Amino acid sequence: MRMRNLTPAKWLLSGALLTGLIVPAFAASEAEIAKAEAAMAAKDYNTAITVLEAALQNDPDNIRLGSDYRQAILRKSVATYKKEGNPVDFDRCISFFEKLVAGHPNASMAYLNYGFCHVDKIAAAGSITQVLLANTALTQFTKSIEIKPSWIALYTRGNSYLYWPVIFGKAGLGVADLERAYAMQKSEPTRAYHQRLYISLGDGYWKQDNIEKARAMWKEGISKFPDSKQLKARLDRKDDDLKSYIDDQLDPNKRVDTDLHEIWEAK
Amino acid sequence: MKLSPTGARFALAAIAAPLAVWGWAEATATIKFTEMAAKAGIQTNHHTRVFPGKAADVLRMFTSGGSSGAAGDYDGDGLDDLFVTDSDNGKPNHLFHNNGDMTFTEVTDKAGVAKGNDPKSIVADALWFDYDNDGKEDLLVARFGTPILYHNEGGGKFKDVSAGSGFTRFGNTIAAVSFDYDNDGLTDVMFGNYFKPLNLIELPDPHVLPNDLDNAINGGGVTLWHNDGKGKFTDVTDKAGFGKLTGWTLDLGHGDFDNDGDQDIYIACDYGTDRIFFNNGNGTFTDTTEKSIGFDTRKGMNAEVTDYDNDGYLDIYVTNITDEYMKECNMLWHNNHDGTFTDISKETNTCATLWGWAAKFGDFDNDGWPDLYVVNGLRSAGKENYIPVLLNNLLLKPGMDFTDVRNWPDIGGMTWSGYQKKKMFHNLAGQTFKEISGEAGTDNEMDGRGLSVADFNHDGKLDIFQVNADQKAIFYKGVTEGGGNWAQFKLTGTKSNRDAIGARITVKAAGLTQMREVDGGNGYAGQSSKTVHIGIGKATKFDSVEIRWPSGLVEKINGAAIGKINKITEGKGLQTK
Repeated sequence: MRMRNLTPAKWLLSGALLTGLIVPAFAASEAEIAKAEAAMAAKDYNTAITVLEAALQNDPDNIRLGSDYRQAILRKSVATYKKEGNPVDFDRCISFFEKLVAGHPNASMAYLNYGFCHVDKIAAAGSITQVLLANTALTQFTKSIEIKPSWIALYTRGNSYLYWPVIFGKAGLGVADLERAYAMQKSEPTRAYHQRLYISLGDGYWKQDNIEKARAMWKEGISKFPDSKQLKARLDRKDDDLKSYIDDQLDPNKRVDTDLHEIWEAK
Repeated sequence: MKLSPTGARFALAAIAAPLAVWGWAEATATIKFTEMAAKAGIQTNHHTRVFPGKAADVLRMFTSGGSSGAAGDYDGDGLDDLFVTDSDNGKPNHLFHNNGDMTFTEVTDKAGVAKGNDPKSIVADALWFDYDNDGKEDLLVARFGTPILYHNEGGGKFKDVSAGSGFTRFGNTIAAVSFDYDNDGLTDVMFGNYFKPLNLIELPDPHVLPNDLDNAINGGGVTLWHNDGKGKFTDVTDKAGFGKLTGWTLDLGHGDFDNDGDQDIYIACDYGTDRIFFNNGNGTFTDTTEKSIGFDTRKGMNAEVTDYDNDGYLDIYVTNITDEYMKECNMLWHNNHDGTFTDISKETNTCATLWGWAAKFGDFDNDGWPDLYVVNGLRSAGKENYIPVLLNNLLLKPGMDFTDVRNWPDIGGMTWSGYQKKKMFHNLAGQTFKEISGEAGTDNEMDGRGLSVADFNHDGKLDIFQVNADQKAIFYKGVTEGGGNWAQFKLTGTKSNRDAIGARITVKAAGLTQMREVDGGNGYAGQSSKTVHIGIGKATKFDSVEIRWPSGLVEKINGAAIGKINKITEGKGLQTK
């Protein structure tokens, strides 16, 4: 599994897998996935993109195809353009999914990936454009939830709200989504990916200045996941040190690793 | 942090530095300033332009950058005087004569330099330069309009010679620098223009604001004017290679970035990429932005130039916006010696200065390492914050045209990035900086704009004049105790331009080599002294002093004095101590 960073996106997809959102879609696209992965391995991103676009036309709600497609777009851009990629390169992804969801208005996971296209562009964009992209991503995540209020979509949107500075007053919206996702996961057996929600929900409480509630959530998380470095890091810090740590985790200029591949490798 | 080649160099240098500068570190003192604008008689109050009509509020906000100050010795008495701008209709600019005892006397009316803010024009910047090499500093007043050129007639009087100067092209000019780009012995002028050339007061078209807040291409760019002699300037913008620029220029910083003897230029732009141009030595420049620094999407506000790490190459400091809602980070462009630069603002602790404006280097403790003072703050007003209003009523509204001034929500009594504490950075031997504004006494919360750094009373301690938007000016007297030794150099060109702008002085003392250039107005909305101030720590003598003049003459100077102003004339060496 490619664990570049412990990022929310990977974990939220784990939730999708385990809540039965994805698995049924896998079988239909195995061949395309294999072909695209071979192209990706060979750094033939153009082929991968073409294959995955065609596959998504036939299987628009397949979250794995969408995730791999976005990775192909990202890797191609980063390979040919220094830093975080050329912002224009990500417009292909946005444009593709815009048309895809127009033709498949009930494809919840397509909307989710559509939102992630915007997230993928954020690190490459200027500071004002980042705000516009983040806002558009929220719109697409909302549509995904409206179609099917899945754990993954709620977690994604809730976590996204936390990236907004406090001044915009979105922390409460984030906490509301994350609490809904928390209720969902409470009804399931404990999964590895659940630790992500403990982290984010605690962060949400922290952003609301409810330090005690935040620490309680992180403590509950670490009682279930004692090896979680991120939970431990939060519990080990206080005051300005904790603020610096969380601010750094939620820095919009740092690329959020939206490679969702982890879920297919996680057991 | 990724350890780039430059980063690796810094890591190694950090180990070596304590050894290399061991003797200098002993001279380190606590940098201190005391505010005395009122006592000095220079507590001017700036007024931003009040516009007519529905768009008044927004336009006033967008043009609130016109508060500037320029230090220059207009009467040749060896002391830097001050010219301070205002911006509202009918408000006078101010000329203050330096009495030498940290007091000033206003001489604006006698000098005849008050005008500039008329119903069609807004004063935004000012510059002292001796355009006709007659030994008297002339005055250029840049405007949203056409500039005003004053010839220094002597006897404390100035004459408006704009009409015959060739400066007839309208521009919404926010920045001006003078340097001799073709080394012909006459200082030329570059203007940085914010809006496209359209009169904002008459506003024939409301679509005047940035077409993209990260990649705008509908700004005013720059213009370059060749000094033909005899008081005439010719627009050479296209010929020199700047004609295609359409950025929202906010500041200009010149210097010989590649040590080839001619002056290059850094152009800081709001709402999009900065630009860097290298001088080809034949009257033209090459845009090397992509190779040298890469394209950026930040809000460039300032371009200040010095060799902060004493490696013999000029570096560049650019302020951007780093606030709760926008995390751009400033840029400290470290010169890689090969035509490229690496931003090391994060590594050097100079990244975050909130809503940045002017920044100026100066060796405030005379330890041989240029320190850095940065002002910030856009609009300090009521408790309500404008940012959420802007976000919800413009930025996130589908289909909104950002260029249309009528679409921007009124700011009324709201605050936007206001009440921000200024930043004073102590240079720690060229390796990193430490923020010390609180202990230095410079952590004011005014809406800062421009800075002028000079030793106004010749006590060997640099002072700072800070102008603010719609607020009173601040004057910091340097009162650092226990700082290092120092020397100042007043250069006069003969074959080169008389101001010696672009002249490079290299001194060696106690094992440290320092290089500084005379600049013609680098840094946002403020001109510092053209007398070069160099701190030398515990050293009591120079091992060598060398001047490289713009003419190409390299002159070794013997007998330069410590603790005094050394007057040096091109080709004639040291004139007085």
